[in-house]
Amino acid sequence: MAMKFLNKLSLLFGRRRFHDELDEEIAFHRAQAEQEFVSEGMRPEEARYAAMRQFGNGTRIKERSREVIGFRGETVVQDVRYAIRQLWASPAFTIVILLTLALSIGANSAIFSVINGVLLKRLPYEQPERLVRIFLSSSSYPRFSLNPFDFRDYRARNQSFESMAAFTRGDVQLSGSGEPVRVNGFGITAGYFHVLGLRPELGREFDQAAEIPGNGLQVILSNRLWRTRFGADPNVIGRKITINMQPYTVVGVMPAGTVHPGNEYHSVAYGEDVDAWWPFSFEGNPNRRGSHYIEGIARLKSDVGLEQARTEMNAIMAQLGREHPGDGGWKVLVIPLYSEVVGASRPMLLMLLGAVVIVLLIACANAANLLLARASSRQREIAVRLAMGAPRARIMRQMMTESLLISFLGGGLGLALAFIGVKALVALLPADFPRAQDIHVSAPVLAFTILVTVATGILFGLAPAFQATRADPREGLQKGGRTTIGSGRQSRLRDALVVAEVSLACVLLIGAGLMLRSLLNQLHLDPGFQQEHVITASISLPHVNYGKREQVARFFDGLVTNLNRLPDVESAGAGSDLPWTGYDENSGFTIEGKKPPAGEEFHARYHMATPGYFSALGIPLVAGRFFTEADTKDTQQVVLINHAMANKYWPNENVIGKRMTFEDEPKEKDWLTIVGVVGDVKDQPNSPAAQPAFWWPELQSGWTSDMSVVIRARGTPSLLADALRNEVHRIDPALAVADVKLMDSIVNSSVSTPRFAFALVGLFAGLAVLLAGIGTYGVISYSVSQRTPELGIRMALGAVRSDVMGLVLSHAARLAVLGTALGVVAAFALSRLLKSLIFDVSPADPATFVSVAGIVILVALLAGYVPALRATATDPMNALRAE
Amino acid sequence: MAKKPDLLPGTLDMLILKTLTRGALHGYGIALSIKRLSDDVLTVEEGSLYPALQRLLLRNWVKAEWKMTDTNRRARFYTLTPAGRKQLGVELSHFEQMISAIGRVLSDVQEA
Repeated sequence: MAMKFLNKLSLLFGRRRFHDELDEEIAFHRAQAEQEFVSEGMRPEEARYAAMRQFGNGTRIKERSREVIGFRGETVVQDVRYAIRQLWASPAFTIVILLTLALSIGANSAIFSVINGVLLKRLPYEQPERLVRIFLSSSSYPRFSLNPFDFRDYRARNQSFESMAAFTRGDVQLSGSGEPVRVNGFGITAGYFHVLGLRPELGREFDQAAEIPGNGLQVILSNRLWRTRFGADPNVIGRKITINMQPYTVVGVMPAGTVHPGNEYHSVAYGEDVDAWWPFSFEGNPNRRGSHYIEGIARLKSDVGLEQARTEMNAIMAQLGREHPGDGGWKVLVIPLYSEVVGASRPMLLMLLGAVVIVLLIACANAANLLLARASSRQREIAVRLAMGAPRARIMRQMMTESLLISFLGGGLGLALAFIGVKALVALLPADFPRAQDIHVSAPVLAFTILVTVATGILFGLAPAFQATRADPREGLQKGGRTTIGSGRQSRLRDALVVAEVSLACVLLIGAGLMLRSLLNQLHLDPGFQQEHVITASISLPHVNYGKREQVARFFDGLVTNLNRLPDVESAGAGSDLPWTGYDENSGFTIEGKKPPAGEEFHARYHMATPGYFSALGIPLVAGRFFTEADTKDTQQVVLINHAMANKYWPNENVIGKRMTFEDEPKEKDWLTIVGVVGDVKDQPNSPAAQPAFWWPELQSGWTSDMSVVIRARGTPSLLADALRNEVHRIDPALAVADVKLMDSIVNSSVSTPRFAFALVGLFAGLAVLLAGIGTYGVISYSVSQRTPELGIRMALGAVRSDVMGLVLSHAARLAVLGTALGVVAAFALSRLLKSLIFDVSPADPATFVSVAGIVILVALLAGYVPALRATATDPMNALRAE
Repeated sequence: MAKKPDLLPGTLDMLILKTLTRGALHGYGIALSIKRLSDDVLTVEEGSLYPALQRLLLRNWVKAEWKMTDTNRRARFYTLTPAGRKQLGVELSHFEQMISAIGRVLSDVQEA
């Protein structure tokens, strides 16, 4: 075996000699045979032919001998070398086909990088498939947070979960050395990290004792905060640090890469953005279970399924409903963490994958068409090789080598494009997109790219390869590979490929059209406020110095008054929250003289605002009045409601002067009088409708010390950021001013997802239409070049230019119309899948379908027009002579 | 034209090796020798002969030398190597085993 290999190796370098020797040997053999025949009495001429006949095909022998001495891979090297020569010989063809493939394979790799990072990669927790999120659900609130006492009962009573924890967002202010900063923080119950399967790098996590208020102030730090703020001090455990102006003891430091599992109460954090965890502690009357503000997470036991856990949790909730009157009417949702994290982005990602696959298919059809055209013009060469005895399998392999070479070159370029594309994609991603930090061109992406590249090469190489080897060498030689091409089967195949391209491009363009309409709808929505010239920031007052409601009220009152005095400020105010930032706090209440329907409660979003809040945000007044400085502790208790709340609870009534209360047994002073109705602002721009909501005046019923400040500027709002900081620090230099944002950018980021989706689908659709146009152009111009003699005859017989033009254009039109018709039908069937992705547009939107059909047909006709023009320039005499 | 029986598969190498036991021969000589010794029953296709010779060369069972023929032409003469002689022994014994096995089967069929 080894000997054989060595011999082969030595022959590898003596190839030339080997061939010469073989030639000589064969010549000798023939001469001998010829002599033999002559000696048997044949005439010399006859003898030579007899010898040649007997010997058979010399080329064949050489090829077979070569196979004996050659390495298996060596013929491949030959094929590749041959293929490279072929590509080099026709640079225009090569550039078009390589660019086409590079773009489409690159797009596939880039989108797959996103899908791999977001959907396929496991969540960074231990056995993440067993993690679930727990929510409540009722007829009026499909997803709701948990009540702490309920949570404590779930945790104690359930048999389905290995562990269970709760958390709630609560950012903290860190001071001590340097400028005070606000960091993202969460209050967590004992065992929160244990549920996730994470362990602190230093120290420990909170125990159950920490859930009881007054058991000491503790904090766990993120690795980042520990490094940046505490110099990665290994002795940080036990150290006291100043959080919210109070001494907190550091009990743990989490390792780098501790990823927050996401939250939906308050603004959402995801990724490694959480820097501090504090013990969630609660106490109070366990019979009052109306307030819901924590989120549940749990780990299923290994032998318990989702359905079983759901059943058990609902049984527990039903039991709690019987034990506590306020707990009725709830169902428990147990949702896998995975679908909670990526569920919302999945349809869009799958749609994008579909879009790039369509682009790739079009690119394949294009490449196949180009190769077919070239294979046709190489008909003669192939016929010669077949006639010389090359086996068909060998020629097919040669053709496949060529197409695989093309696809690999394209794939290589595509991968380079993917690296750039992924960077661009991540930069373009909506800010709240999950797992953006996990998106890279990684090993799986590489494997995917190779797979796609090979599949592409085979797909577009098959048709030309088969067609080439089906060729009849005699026919190829006789006709010289010129007019065979017009022959039915081949041109039908090429036409079919173009029709497929056009229809696929049509599908994609319709998808893009629907996304565009949806985006425009969202951009033109009346948000219910006026975002221009508005700057916002959030300020959190530490409990230590601002423990009393009066202190909080005095601070914000003073700040807003000072801000309003600035010349560049049109109006300023503060409120518990800002529109479109995910706020969804709800409260039940009692309406004077009304009873809720059985089993339901009067519910609405609650907010708090200072008098200037509404005018600063540009929320209009519908009836009554806004709050004023005169609404103080000593005057009548007032409340503002939105239009939706007025319509829901006081339909067709004058609501001004009506009263509501939050007390079960209200005294006269507990009643709040409705003094005004303000315009609706939806939770999110694409929410179906605004939720009922009301506002307390900050001066009468302050309940939070975390407020958002809103300033409407006369000029450029961003210039007011420093003024705001100055004003805050003039009152209290220890306060952090966080989240300074323009309302414009909040509005912008709320449409970032539809914009992202449209930008990509639009890009792919544009690419698809371009490719389909190139495909149509290729086929039509090829057919024109093949029909030159025919057109020449027609013109010689009296056809005028417009006849020729019509002839060629009608070919293009036939392909375009057929392709568009198929595309429209396919899009009609597929667009229903887009339903969850488009806003306020029917998936069968006639305007989109009609205009896209028009565009596609127009592009195809345009692609046919250039060759048609060339056809009319045919000189009949030249055309006929060429024949 | 009566169809001549094809060579049994795998026997060409053995026949070539056997032919070469009588001395050095060129390709044409090998083909001629096989044809004559088999009384024109076995014909070696040139298309198989030369690839087979390359195969044997690769395995070092034969070696080749350019020499002059009686008629003063340059030709490549093949000779058996010791390894080739050993290989011939192996192939012959395999062949004999096979023939006798086939013979047993056939005689059994005839007797039945």
